[in-house]
Amino acid sequence: MSPKKRISLVIGSGGIKCAAAAGLWRVLKSENIEVDSVVGCSGGSMYAALIANHVPEKDMEEWSRKLWTSDIMQGYTESLKASKDGSLRFNERSGLVDDSVMNKKLQDIYGAWEFSDLKMPFKVVATELQTGEKVTLSEGSVFDAIRASLAIPIIFPPWEVDGRLLIDGAASDPLPIDVAIQDGADIIIAMGFPLDYRARFRSMTAVQEQLNSIYINNILTSTYAFYNLAHHAEIFPVIPEFDGPVSMFDVDKIPDVIEQGAEAARKQLPHIKRLLADG
Amino acid sequence: MEIKDRAVDGVTVISLMGSIDAMSAPKVTDFIHEQVGKGNTKLVADLSGVDYTSSAGLRVMLGAIKETRSQGGDLRLTGIQPDVSKVLNLSGFANILKLFDDVDSAVASYS
Amino acid sequence: MGKPRIALVIGSGSVKCAAALGLMKVFEREKINVDMVVGCSGGSIYASLIALGWSVERATDATLKMWTREVTAKRSNRAILQLALPWIFKFDESFGLIDDRLINRRLRDGFEGASFADTKIPLFVTATDLYNGEQTVLSKGLVADAVRASISIPYIFPPHKMNGRFYVDGYQSDPLPIGVAIREGADIIVAMGFESPYQEHVTSLMRYNFQISSVTSNNLLKTNYAFHNLAHHSEIIPILPEFEHPIKLFDTDKLPYVIEEGERATEQQIPFIKSLLA
Repeated sequence: MSPKKRISLVIGSGGIKCAAAAGLWRVLKSENIEVDSVVGCSGGSMYAALIANHVPEKDMEEWSRKLWTSDIMQGYTESLKASKDGSLRFNERSGLVDDSVMNKKLQDIYGAWEFSDLKMPFKVVATELQTGEKVTLSEGSVFDAIRASLAIPIIFPPWEVDGRLLIDGAASDPLPIDVAIQDGADIIIAMGFPLDYRARFRSMTAVQEQLNSIYINNILTSTYAFYNLAHHAEIFPVIPEFDGPVSMFDVDKIPDVIEQGAEAARKQLPHIKRLLADG
Repeated sequence: MEIKDRAVDGVTVISLMGSIDAMSAPKVTDFIHEQVGKGNTKLVADLSGVDYTSSAGLRVMLGAIKETRSQGGDLRLTGIQPDVSKVLNLSGFANILKLFDDVDSAVASYS
Repeated sequence: MGKPRIALVIGSGSVKCAAALGLMKVFEREKINVDMVVGCSGGSIYASLIALGWSVERATDATLKMWTREVTAKRSNRAILQLALPWIFKFDESFGLIDDRLINRRLRDGFEGASFADTKIPLFVTATDLYNGEQTVLSKGLVADAVRASISIPYIFPPHKMNGRFYVDGYQSDPLPIGVAIREGADIIVAMGFESPYQEHVTSLMRYNFQISSVTSNNLLKTNYAFHNLAHHSEIIPILPEFEHPIKLFDTDKLPYVIEEGERATEQQIPFIKSLLA
């Protein structure tokens, strides 16, 4: 009998949509599909950590509602004004947002967690600001790792970990499948969130968002395409589809987001199960 | 996985039916290898009967595509179903392959 | 199986892309024929000049006439109003800080009305569709039009409207479009690409923006390169000129140096390329 195939989950960058991971987790558990490790990037790292610690779906939903509220953007408007009138001072440790609100919310959930305490191997991906390199975090404080991975450039201040100034993992790899592969995964269930494109541009911000989406979507496809060819592991992409736009603070949509995650997971289930059966 | 082939204007049209995954992909590769061996290097794959491709399936397919190209030919795709299209786009295949809406335009592209 | 088809792919890099002229000098000397050219962003200018068969001298002249600081000097009045009062002066996808009439005229004059049909070898220019983020390959119509689309630096030049679509800089979807050469049936692919420079010190919001832009485009460049290497059935030969000093957006006075460095970088790969053709 051949050895059991190792299964890894990769939860990519996607903001509030990453809550869909709770739906994926539900489906896998209900099918008794055992996950051996989990990797997260940006918003995905928050849910990957919760999965790694076997947090019940109900709690994931509740914490999502608490987290994705507009107060995490405090200070943004003032900073923008200052940038327009020339009074804003900005260096590599700066961000337009005052991160004290977000930091507290993250601390409330992950503050006491260490990587070694979690029930499953867990890794987080961030990007080094100075060199653009992808950085994998797998030790020490879970809060530090998630905070670094979530540091959307310019919006949130970068976060220093082990002497390196880190920003959003998505800037180097929005769906870090290779980290799971390096851990010896045979089967990778990768939940990614391509960004929606705009149909209209009514402001500079709209243009900036579109250009950001263009970049993220292209690097997402680029890295997926590369890992797909470079490794032998079977990769199952779980890409939830949403009925309409889901904005960053649409907490009322969270139950629906989770359902869409479950739905996307169910679509891949027959293929995953067939592969496991053929083992 | 069922594979049928026919010749159209000097081009070999291969129709595939079923899923292209780790199990069935070798059959596809062997088939293409045989075609290339016979000197048929201008290939069109009609995927209208393909409902699913796995990542392993894509890898194996690419191997076959490379084989036709190294002999001066190509493998062009048509009849791509929505779910397969999503995977092809995600895997970068849409950028390195020629895709067509129907068999006729795929065949015509070789002239 | 006949002679291998050789493609030249020139990625984004503004004036650094002129190194491709140095490459062509070496290729001409060695009697290596290029069968197709692909260009992105600044690379599209040189890809077009090469595809049109213009000599290095003529291409250098054309560059000096087209690309000067003046093309980004004049602010767009409409843009100023749009930024200040977007609800009155309708902000839309045609937004760009700079008035693009000069660059449009310079490109039309510089390429002397040439169309893709006039090229001696097939030419492919890449741009990025503003609405769906995808790489678009332009291979028909006026060369100046396609180049204008390919060099639509975000925020600076307005996106370029062509065939009912709006295009921004090609580098947004892929800074070094080797995939196009693969799709078009190239065997040996010679790829000249440039990383975007990193900031020494981030001292302002603007520098931070440039840093992030370099981080993201360099990651896209590297990952696509890795993917294309695995996806291609034959060799991809990178030609990577190195410059002692940074070459900035309008440093056209450094053209002779850039071309020379392009020659040097190409010489290094010539033995290998010739062995592939033997």
